[in-house]
Amino acid sequence: MEKKYNAIDLATGKLNSEIFSNEVIYQEELERIFGRSWLMIGHESLIPKVNDFFHTYMGEDPVILTRDANNRLRAFLNMCRHRGNRIVRADIGNSNNYVCGYHGWTYSNQGFLEYVPGEEEAYYGALDRDGLGLIEARVETYAGIVFANWDKGAPSLEAYLGDARWCLDVAFNRLDSGTEALGPIKWIEPLNWKTAVDNCSDNYHVPTTHLSTILVQARQLGIPRLTHEQQFESPSKHLSINGHSMTMRFLERPDQPRQTHGVTQENRALFEEYYRSTLPEAERRLGGLRAGQLQLGNHSLFPNGVLGLRLAHPRGPLETEFWHFVILEKGMPSELKRALRMGSGNYNGVSGMFEQDDMDNWRGVTRSSLTPLSRKFPQDLSMGIGRAGSDPQFPGIVSERYTSENNQRHFYRRWEQFMNASNWSEIPIEPITAAFEGTATMES
Amino acid sequence: MAGQQPNRQNAQHELWLELMQFYISESWLLDDRKFDEWLDIFTEDVFYFMPRRLNVGRQDISQELSSVGDLAIFEDDKTYLSMRVARLDTGMAWAEDPPSRTRHIIGNLVVEQLPNGDIRSKTAFILYRSHHETDENLFSGSREDHLRKEDGRWKIYKRVIVLDSNVILAKNLSVFF
Repeated sequence: MEKKYNAIDLATGKLNSEIFSNEVIYQEELERIFGRSWLMIGHESLIPKVNDFFHTYMGEDPVILTRDANNRLRAFLNMCRHRGNRIVRADIGNSNNYVCGYHGWTYSNQGFLEYVPGEEEAYYGALDRDGLGLIEARVETYAGIVFANWDKGAPSLEAYLGDARWCLDVAFNRLDSGTEALGPIKWIEPLNWKTAVDNCSDNYHVPTTHLSTILVQARQLGIPRLTHEQQFESPSKHLSINGHSMTMRFLERPDQPRQTHGVTQENRALFEEYYRSTLPEAERRLGGLRAGQLQLGNHSLFPNGVLGLRLAHPRGPLETEFWHFVILEKGMPSELKRALRMGSGNYNGVSGMFEQDDMDNWRGVTRSSLTPLSRKFPQDLSMGIGRAGSDPQFPGIVSERYTSENNQRHFYRRWEQFMNASNWSEIPIEPITAAFEGTATMES
Repeated sequence: MAGQQPNRQNAQHELWLELMQFYISESWLLDDRKFDEWLDIFTEDVFYFMPRRLNVGRQDISQELSSVGDLAIFEDDKTYLSMRVARLDTGMAWAEDPPSRTRHIIGNLVVEQLPNGDIRSKTAFILYRSHHETDENLFSGSREDHLRKEDGRWKIYKRVIVLDSNVILAKNLSVFF
């Protein structure tokens, strides 16, 4: 194997910024990263009925996610096998077949090419219909979130997530009744997709980038301001597993609301009541530590998952189509759902008071790689080098401090591993070692 | 009966003119960045809402707009709306510092007086935004407002903004509609 990309130096934290803007590198990313990874593409609740479909993307490739006529989740490349036209042009719908609007080739929602106009006459019965079905991706789910993968050689989703699932369960797999996804809000960001992902474990930026909103939250909602001690000396954990970045915070009380956005002084008691009443069920599913002592903070899933089911779809090296969903526990009282929905949309998303302040930063990071002069100076991700390792309580490579660039360094190291591998057998994967206390599984 | 027709028409015209002036003033407040004054045209119980606009087939057109209860682009009460305004003066609201240069063009006003004396109005808008050196956005859409008189002034207690875009071609929505 020829090692081609050397983007991050783990010993110095120097990052080659060319990976943000180079078109050749970008095309290789589409193939080697987006063509091989388990990508989040939707949620089961978006297609509750048989024949429902939800139009989504894997990288730049348009994909139809459907619950087929046999109630099975399928993901197909939205491309007619005749001339490559898109066969589905709507965001959502319900249909047991897809008719290409160019010449009428018609596919079942199980991917078969069922009807070709003039098959006997124009093609003289010689068309290989069986060989011209829709291109299909592998589909697996975790806690209702649907993932897909083009690569037949990729490991299972369970192995791909590895011990990151031990962290994710805390937010997404707490209760028997599961979750629902609302959204997405979609918009185009003028930045490289990786900058939005790496920012997920950048706890360092919060008190600067987001200060204006933190100030008005304190003033108008009574939410305490982040202190210097919380920011830099917090015992919270920041950990990296298979390129997935997780931050875990300790709860002060088992009934403390798990969310940051949407909880106010006024509704806090209702959230506490909810977490008290659901604690026994969560303990049965996740064990005492994960159910009652931890909350999931900012996190990303390799390659392009940003805080839960929020997706940074690449659109060329300098643009990203961002999809903002919110995931809610199905059984949550409607008043709390309303608070979280409003909080999610008003703090994150295209209009979000937090997220609107991120955009020009990420664009700046992206565009610093556009000129020969600026490219000479690598970016510096040296924070906390040598200050991360294994931890008795938490899986993965764990930073000593909550504010560290360890996760970002390992995100770019993961990026290199994918970019330098000729196939999945050359991509290392951490074994699952965490004790998954409780009864929760991938599916239920 | 026929004799009352012109009076009623006059009253409708006057109401239309009154509302048109209201919306012209609102646009100037926004474009002159008088956001505290702008906040004051909304009631304390205001519901400021921008649903998501889906790209759907004609048979599914009833689902073109996300409903209340689904995730919206804006779903603000007065507190959230006030926070959006208050943060601009902190000196650290980076998305609007330097601030956007906006132009709100409002037209196509229709006004309907409701049986309880409240008003339902609908306007079309074009919002141009210039930001930093060369960023430009053009937003087009409609606004449906519900207004009632408070202390002799019309105030908006419900605003539903519908953008004409599906995927929003802007880095953020840090401006007001």
